Amino acid sequence: MWAYIVRRLLITIPTVLAVVTICYLLLHVTPGGPFDSERKVSDAVLANLQAKYHLDLPLWKQYLLYLNDLLHGDLGASFRYADWSVNDLVARALPVSLVIGGTAMVIAVVVGVGLGIVAALRQNSAVDYAVMLFGNIGSVLPSFVLGPVLVLVFAIALPWLPSGGWDDFAPRYMILPIALLTLINMSTIGRIMRGSLIEVLGSNFVRTARAKGLPMRLVVMRHALRPALLPVVSVVGPLAIASITSAIVTESWFSIPGLGKLIVNGASDRDYTLVLGLVVLVTVLAVTLNLLVDLAYAWLDPKIRY
Amino acid sequence: MALRIVLTCLLAIAAASAAAAVIPPGTVLSPKQEMVRNNGAEPESLDPAHTETVNATDIGRDLFEGLTSTDHQGNVVAGAAESWKQVDATTWVFRLRRNAVWSNGQPVTAEDFLYGWRRYLDPKTASLSASIYAVYFVNGMDIVGGRKPVAELGAKALDPYTLEVKTPGPVPFLPGVMAAAQLAPQPRPTIEKFGKDWTRPGNLVGNGAYLLKDWQVNSKVVVEKNPRYWDAANVQLTRVTFLCVEDASADLKLYQSGEEDFMESLPPGAYVALKAQYPSEMRNDLLLGIRVYSLNNKDPLLKDVRVRKALSMVIDREVLAAKITADGQVPLYGLAVKGLVGAQPTRYDWADWPMDKRVAEARRLLAEAGVKPGTHLKFTYNNSDYHKKMAIFAASEWKTKLGLETDIDSLEFKVLIRKRHDGDFQIARNGWVFNVNDATVLLNLAECDSDFNDDHSCNRAADALIVQAKLLNDPARREALLSQAARMMAEDYPMIPLLQYTAPRLVKPWVGGYGNSGGTNRYRSKDFYIVAH
Repeated sequence: MWAYIVRRLLITIPTVLAVVTICYLLLHVTPGGPFDSERKVSDAVLANLQAKYHLDLPLWKQYLLYLNDLLHGDLGASFRYADWSVNDLVARALPVSLVIGGTAMVIAVVVGVGLGIVAALRQNSAVDYAVMLFGNIGSVLPSFVLGPVLVLVFAIALPWLPSGGWDDFAPRYMILPIALLTLINMSTIGRIMRGSLIEVLGSNFVRTARAKGLPMRLVVMRHALRPALLPVVSVVGPLAIASITSAIVTESWFSIPGLGKLIVNGASDRDYTLVLGLVVLVTVLAVTLNLLVDLAYAWLDPKIRY
Repeated sequence: MALRIVLTCLLAIAAASAAAAVIPPGTVLSPKQEMVRNNGAEPESLDPAHTETVNATDIGRDLFEGLTSTDHQGNVVAGAAESWKQVDATTWVFRLRRNAVWSNGQPVTAEDFLYGWRRYLDPKTASLSASIYAVYFVNGMDIVGGRKPVAELGAKALDPYTLEVKTPGPVPFLPGVMAAAQLAPQPRPTIEKFGKDWTRPGNLVGNGAYLLKDWQVNSKVVVEKNPRYWDAANVQLTRVTFLCVEDASADLKLYQSGEEDFMESLPPGAYVALKAQYPSEMRNDLLLGIRVYSLNNKDPLLKDVRVRKALSMVIDREVLAAKITADGQVPLYGLAVKGLVGAQPTRYDWADWPMDKRVAEARRLLAEAGVKPGTHLKFTYNNSDYHKKMAIFAASEWKTKLGLETDIDSLEFKVLIRKRHDGDFQIARNGWVFNVNDATVLLNLAECDSDFNDDHSCNRAADALIVQAKLLNDPARREALLSQAARMMAEDYPMIPLLQYTAPRLVKPWVGGYGNSGGTNRYRSKDFYIVAH
């Protein structure tokens, strides 16, 4: 098991390297540079800027310099935000995204799994239909529709919560964005849990357990739940990454200073170092979460051994 | 003697009223003088040497004060300098006020300005906007280009409170230039102590009306009244929050839910409905800026002025302004706009013709130029519903009135501007809002070798007039030459002028002190106050 974890962590290094290299090249071939603006920058100023950010060096040299900084934990200077390094920007945005995305994910998993179980156990009942209706609404309504509805109801019609903005993790600014992300993820998780549990409940080992006379509650909790969670665990990894790093619509709609906004701004500003820094971060997060998902498989399914 | 005292008092009153919020008599102020203004995008920097966009310079001008400042009506008023005079055509002397201090109590001296300007133009600083203001100093451009040391900048301290500035030619509008956020003084000891981190809350030392209290990247910048500011007695707002909300719908939602007092911009297409909904809160002042379509004057089809003229003539600006953009912008038929200093507004003679006559003339011009109906034009704009609507309108005008087909291509912003700068386009969306109110800045858009000439047009005769005008210190003669140059350039049809920008936004009724900003769309927080409500 430990050997497996160490092996997986070691694989992270070439993965990050490959992702960084591809992104580095893609960014440099994308038309439009970091210093292109409505007002054309004079040649002298452009030369100064290129010298400052080493853009006057051959691409391979720039790349090696970047890798050297990366090895030392330095994501470089932002091209756009002169007062901040990429490390500064990420250090400020990551906690915001982690708190919003992480909280939403935990609530979505707990409630979504709960709703899925209830719906599966009462298949084709009114409760099941209600849960499925809710789940389908959450799935088909994109965040850019659901978000404005939440704001309209809870910020404008009933002025209970701010319609957006951020104030140093003040809970009142976090409720609506967390609610939005939760609703979206919860409906997906609920539907998957329901389908998976229904399938597991129809399998031979569950029938055997029931034949032995075990009460339904114990059958579900002891035998059916773990295998039924496998598909849920498979989606939780990607959903969690999406909640933390790509909540672009949510962050823009609620004006939250998280990673999603940095990614969008970084890409449109051609802030090479900022985009690369975020790519490294997302890659590491993705690899870590995938590892956790794989470890969870082993815990949930005794057949899986590493 | 009595007369002198009265005059002195009157001057003092005038100076005071020009310098701070003008509160009408009888106004009852709110006990809570706090304001939340949306500032649009995250400021790229709070360091005067690195600020470039309006998002940064608006906050910058609250934290730092240049020799002069511009008030809410766009007037150039005294800042850290209490007086100035032009001693000869290319020399200005600014006298600093003795009661101006940094927020740490140190006096603001001429050396602080020299240090700031030299650091701003230093190639090592690599400021993106350096060349914009370097042109107003002797040796400025040579310093930016690394050809001369910063010590040779055309500015020196005659004594701790007197600055002399040498300009390469006469710059009659230099006091207005000195209001730029980039030309504010900089606190050398603080910068040397904290390095890149000197603009963090707690580190930043400023000389403006406000102090930096909080800066949450991509969220907000909070400033509070600076008790040491020389004019603190006339500063009403005690706390100002600049939000960094770029999405116009999010901006509107924050306004409607009462979380901000001052919008940055309206969502596209919302002006008419919002004006009906909030008639007393809608502000829409004219800006010193032009919305144009760039024409690539080197393009095989467009190098013929008759084609460029024909394309320009048939676009119905009145319909464009009233029905398409529908946000209060003003139809534009020339280059020099209303409110511009240094040149009379230009207007094409055909602007007042009936459309039928314009179309007939345009068709005749195209026929003369050998352009047949069915010819394809290539139009590029940057992704946005607003620009798309305008592009479709223009294409339909060219199709229905001239029989020309238009292939419309939507590009990402950075791609479009790179193509425009490189001349890799035929017709492209463009627009300018001017940083300094002077005709030379506007005409620079069409000068032959200008970095800002996206049309790649050239009229040497007009350029020669501008060169002549730049040597003149007499405003009337200067204006005559620049007006003539503007007319000559307009008659070359380097671009298609469409609309003069306005700045539509909602401002809460209790926000006092809002003015037309003289077309700059720049607002100092010290001019605002909150009325009891």
